[in-house]
Amino acid sequence: MRNYGPIDDVTVFELYPGIQLTRDNIEHYRALAEQKLVINRCGDCGYWIYPHRPMCPECWSLKVKPEEISGFGTVFMFTLLYQLRDPKSHIMEPVPVAAVELAEQKGLRYLSRIVNCAPEDIAHDMPVRLTWIEIGNMEWPAFEPVPGGLG
Amino acid sequence: MARHPLRDTIAIVGVGSTPYGRDLQRSHLSLGLEAAVSAIRDAGIDKQEVDGICGSGMTPLAQGGAGFLSLQGSLGIERCTWGVNSWLGSAFVHAGAAVAAGLCDTALVVQTYMREPNMSRSASADPFRRVLEQFSDVGSDMGGGDFAKRWVHSGEPYAAWMKRYMHDYGVGKDAFAYMAVNNRSHGSRNPAAVMQQPITLEDYHASRMIWEPMQIYDMDVPVDCAEAHVITTAERARDLPNKPVYIHAMSLGGTRVGEFYENSLGWTENAHWVAAKGLWDRSELRLDDVDLFYPYDGYTIDAIGCVEAVGWCKPGEAGEFLKSNWDPADNILRLNGRTQVSTHGGGLALGRAGGANFYSEAVRQLRGTEGARQVPDAKNALINIGSFFHDPSAVMLRAD
Ligand SMILES: [Zn+2]
Repeated sequence: MRNYGPIDDVTVFELYPGIQLTRDNIEHYRALAEQKLVINRCGDCGYWIYPHRPMCPECWSLKVKPEEISGFGTVFMFTLLYQLRDPKSHIMEPVPVAAVELAEQKGLRYLSRIVNCAPEDIAHDMPVRLTWIEIGNMEWPAFEPVPGGLG
Repeated sequence: MARHPLRDTIAIVGVGSTPYGRDLQRSHLSLGLEAAVSAIRDAGIDKQEVDGICGSGMTPLAQGGAGFLSLQGSLGIERCTWGVNSWLGSAFVHAGAAVAAGLCDTALVVQTYMREPNMSRSASADPFRRVLEQFSDVGSDMGGGDFAKRWVHSGEPYAAWMKRYMHDYGVGKDAFAYMAVNNRSHGSRNPAAVMQQPITLEDYHASRMIWEPMQIYDMDVPVDCAEAHVITTAERARDLPNKPVYIHAMSLGGTRVGEFYENSLGWTENAHWVAAKGLWDRSELRLDDVDLFYPYDGYTIDAIGCVEAVGWCKPGEAGEFLKSNWDPADNILRLNGRTQVSTHGGGLALGRAGGANFYSEAVRQLRGTEGARQVPDAKNALINIGSFFHDPSAVMLRAD
């Protein structure tokens, strides 16, 4: 776990060379570098806005600010990858990819890995919570089952 | 009914297809030009009559593809008053709309496809395909390191929807299996099809798992190919050699999901349902009038979405419906006892052309020129091409 402290734009660009950083999504990645998962939210009506867009689709407010989420949600839909896009990659066991419906709002979903769970145990509507995993020397969000099934 | 001034005022007068193959060792442009020349000759017009072009790809200035600027230059067409690049269901609809609106009188649509390096080991070993990929412009950082953007223009969410569909409706994979077997049966009777061998339901279920629950026989076959269409006014069409095939009604569809597919709305709110409603709000022909049905099969879940969206059966009931409309003698679907489905074999058997070959087949069948493969007395064809998420079309074609 690392703490980058106050991270300026230049550092965010350096940390995420493969990402198309924009004026609309950079706060999300700045927060990721601090191991926080933030989602844009309307400052006027409270609607959560994802993907990272600059205007609220409900009330057209431009007062959109990123806000940290609770980290709780459920698995809306998922697939298990037996073959990756890169045909040269070999997978030992199926890789889960899940659209996690965040507790904050119906239909608000974040695509993520599911960890600490056997692939065959992943189920629709299963309660999950945010955790972090290290990939390529960076911490990335992932979701794991909530012990005891609490959401 | 919606406002609908274009009804039967435009017609498809030319169709051209290249051979289909897994490795034709040709460029997008070479394939596109062959299809274009063939479609213009088929239409029986001079090339200078073409004054609008819908090419393939995303950006007009991209190189290595078959965009409208490259096509116009290569074909030596002097003047166009309309041009755009597009794909999936949208390309054909944009071109028809341009003719109907009078932005051009004769539109050429060219759609090219090539097996991409990420689709097989042999394709990834081909330097031409690797370089093509390197310089292609998809306009996003998909695959760029953020897992959360993995489903921007990805096939995986279709697999996830397949699983959610099975969960929500408490069904197995019958619907997908019957669609796959149907298309492969038709493919076995189409000499152009890359997949000549028919399959059984058992073969389907035993096929390789790719993205659970999606199996290899749920996925269209990546090939090198091109399709082209010439669309003009109904008035002009009546002077040309081919029997005109009229565009009776058409619609595109979009929802507020946007480009992050995990934000999917419910199954019955996806873009195919929007396109289907758009069509039924404009068409005087109804489902009972449909002699031929062409649901896009990039993945079998797409085709099942189309079956349910246009109303052949209720949501979640496609498995039962297809099973009870199965003709075991020919191993094909006959909806309501008669309507044949994807008579050319679709992407699952003929090969992946982003749905463009469904339009070609529909036009040829409605002309009545398909010999041994001809469906007798086919007058009306319903075509649904594209994705749950973007660029879906619903098009009703008719011939006299
Ligand atoms: Zn708002």
